[in-house]
Amino acid sequence: MSDLSTSLPVISARKLVKSFPMANGSELKVLQELDLQIEESEMVAIVGMSGVGKSTLLHCLGLLDTPTTGEITYRDGDRTWRSTDLSEDDRCQLRNHFIGFVFQFFHLLPDLNVLENVMLPTVISQETGEWNRNRSKLESRGESLLERVGLKGRERQSPGTLSGGERQRVAIARALMMSPKLLLCDEPTGNLDSRTSESIHQLLRELHQDLSTSILVVTHDPDLASRADRRLQMIDGRFQNDSADNPETS
Amino acid sequence: MKYHDYLTRRYLSRRWAPWAATVAVALGVFSLLTVLAVMEGFKVEMRERIRGTLSHLVIEADPFRGLVGEDQLLRTIKSIDGVKAAAPNVTTLALYKVGVMDHCVLRGIEPAAECQVSDLARFILSDDEINEMLKDRFMLLPADRDSMPVEQVEQLFSLERRRDVLRWRLQEDPGSGFSVDSPPKPIIVGIEALRSGRLSMGDVVQVSSYSPITLEPCSDNFLVVGAFQSGVYEQDLRWAYTHIRSLQDTLELWDDEAEDMRLSGISIKLDDYSQADRIKGEIRREVDRRMFLDQDHPDKIPLRSPSFETWEDKRANLIKAVEIEKRIISVLMLLIVAFAAGMIFLILMLLVIEKERDLGVLRALGATRSGVVSLVLRQGMFLCTVGAAVGLLAGWIFLENINGFHDLVYQWTGLRLFPPNVYYLERIPMVLRWQDILLVSLPTLVFGFFGSILPAIRAGRHDPIKALHHE
Ligand SMILES: Nc1ncnc2c1ncn2[C@@H]1O[C@H](COP(=O)(O)OP(=O)(O)O)[C@@H](O)[C@H]1O
Ligand SMILES: [Mg+2]
Repeated sequence: MSDLSTSLPVISARKLVKSFPMANGSELKVLQELDLQIEESEMVAIVGMSGVGKSTLLHCLGLLDTPTTGEITYRDGDRTWRSTDLSEDDRCQLRNHFIGFVFQFFHLLPDLNVLENVMLPTVISQETGEWNRNRSKLESRGESLLERVGLKGRERQSPGTLSGGERQRVAIARALMMSPKLLLCDEPTGNLDSRTSESIHQLLRELHQDLSTSILVVTHDPDLASRADRRLQMIDGRFQNDSADNPETS
Repeated sequence: MKYHDYLTRRYLSRRWAPWAATVAVALGVFSLLTVLAVMEGFKVEMRERIRGTLSHLVIEADPFRGLVGEDQLLRTIKSIDGVKAAAPNVTTLALYKVGVMDHCVLRGIEPAAECQVSDLARFILSDDEINEMLKDRFMLLPADRDSMPVEQVEQLFSLERRRDVLRWRLQEDPGSGFSVDSPPKPIIVGIEALRSGRLSMGDVVQVSSYSPITLEPCSDNFLVVGAFQSGVYEQDLRWAYTHIRSLQDTLELWDDEAEDMRLSGISIKLDDYSQADRIKGEIRREVDRRMFLDQDHPDKIPLRSPSFETWEDKRANLIKAVEIEKRIISVLMLLIVAFAAGMIFLILMLLVIEKERDLGVLRALGATRSGVVSLVLRQGMFLCTVGAAVGLLAGWIFLENINGFHDLVYQWTGLRLFPPNVYYLERIPMVLRWQDILLVSLPTLVFGFFGSILPAIRAGRHDPIKALHHE
């Protein structure tokens, strides 16, 4: 993997600390000086016990939450953004363009059909006139993404009529709609049976090979974790350097 | 950003509950607009009718002292710039008795002069018209009917007319003890007194009152020789006209001190009513000046202390009552609009709570906090604006055809929602003013804004992480 080492990280987190105030006045330290770098086109799997802080980490990386201390740097080619000096608008921009989210519970909008759900990020980012002008282009991109995740011909269906696995495919297509640099998947198969999970894992790996998107996936599935470029074990709010095939030295 | 309209369309086209709020707003706006326009029309109509029986300016005597010096007074008043005509009158409260007993306001006038200062000639009825009116209880004189010529009005009070009426009456009903040679004094009554059956044409009524001079009761017989319709129900039931000399005679109004007949007041017509207040002052000053002249000065007017009023001063309370009524009803109607805005508030609140997760998804996909706030706010304002527009449009269509709708209701149910014998208006009046349209739409939009802003703020406060935590 010599090509990876020459490229710069898409995202790098330094000494991330996240603590929540507790009812009795003390603090719950969830992330403890955590460091993380994800290279361009890299697929990283995070494993760890429940409650160890994986979702919290993804929320911080995904700019839905702010770390208590520490800094996250986002890089796209020559441009970099540092989490500490982002305005609220910048954070929204990055969430929209730079990051794609896939959640455990799919979170599709029931009032929109499948294609509209996939196109939702473009609706958010573009002005009315611009969106209308680009509409047919955006629709064909949405349709080809749906075809890519295996849902051709289901564009006008309501998400409520889809199975769990199909919904997650729609969610993945939605996350990829803006061609994000980084895809954050928080237990994408945590809510699916094992056979459906297997097919989603398959899809994620295929997408990773096709696209230049970096993927950070939280999973309990040892198979998916072992097939990632790197596998990180999270214990006590930081990563354990535990595996031989892992070049990371932190 | 695009997603406001886009999602608003999606959310609203898939639910009916938000439209219930719109319907409520529309209903509120509709009722408010209708009530305001009808009340305004009613006010204008009332003013017009009340004005008809009154003259521009009225000089009214103190009831116990009267006014004396009719000739000097009329000469003085007519000498003031801007005065067109002036007419004397005597007015008294009286009881009359035919079969039943009732009270009336009896007004002695000089017919020709009175026609110049008030609309008497416009609402005095010919014999044919009286017959028609008695056949149709709700009939009103057409607004464009020509005034009766002054000679004809004078004719009604003449000896000849009284003899004709009495002769005609004796044919129908012989045996009353009045002779055609010396008929009783003439009286013209309101049409409602005839319609209600209290009086009929040719009746000889005994009218009793008190003389303000002797303070003794006095009474006389009067012959019903005609009728009028002023368009104000109360007046058409209670008012009666006779000749001023007849009434002065009946009431024994000879003032020993001034050696003249007393008057109750003088009605004045102006060239231009907008000058009323100025001319009123001038007349008062001139009349006062002449009252304080030397006893033997040719212009001397015997000293009395009358009041000087425009017709609006005299009827200020009635006009104000309609105005106040309008205001009270608008406030009550605004409550409907406020209630509708409350519905918007509740429905948006429910929508925001129901859609907490969706809003979280939007945030995760890059929507800003203010974007989410404005999404909810826009939905509320959209519902409210549509409601207001529909209400205004429906109100306008309804008002333009209000009498058609009223007739329809009457045809189907036989119910007169607006009975002419109460309001005495055959058609429901309405005046749609742009001020009233503003008065309706602005508060509606303001209420709608306040109804939407709280759910919107609440939507902005949602923590996207919490919203996304569970299915
Ligand atoms: N908003 C919060 N307030 C307080 N504690 C929280 C909050 N969010 C998460 N936690 C706590 O942080 C820890 C890590 O949670 P999470 O990141 O969801 O774990 P994981 O995703 O690894 O299962 C848990 O103990 C959880 O109770
Ligand atoms: Mg989790």
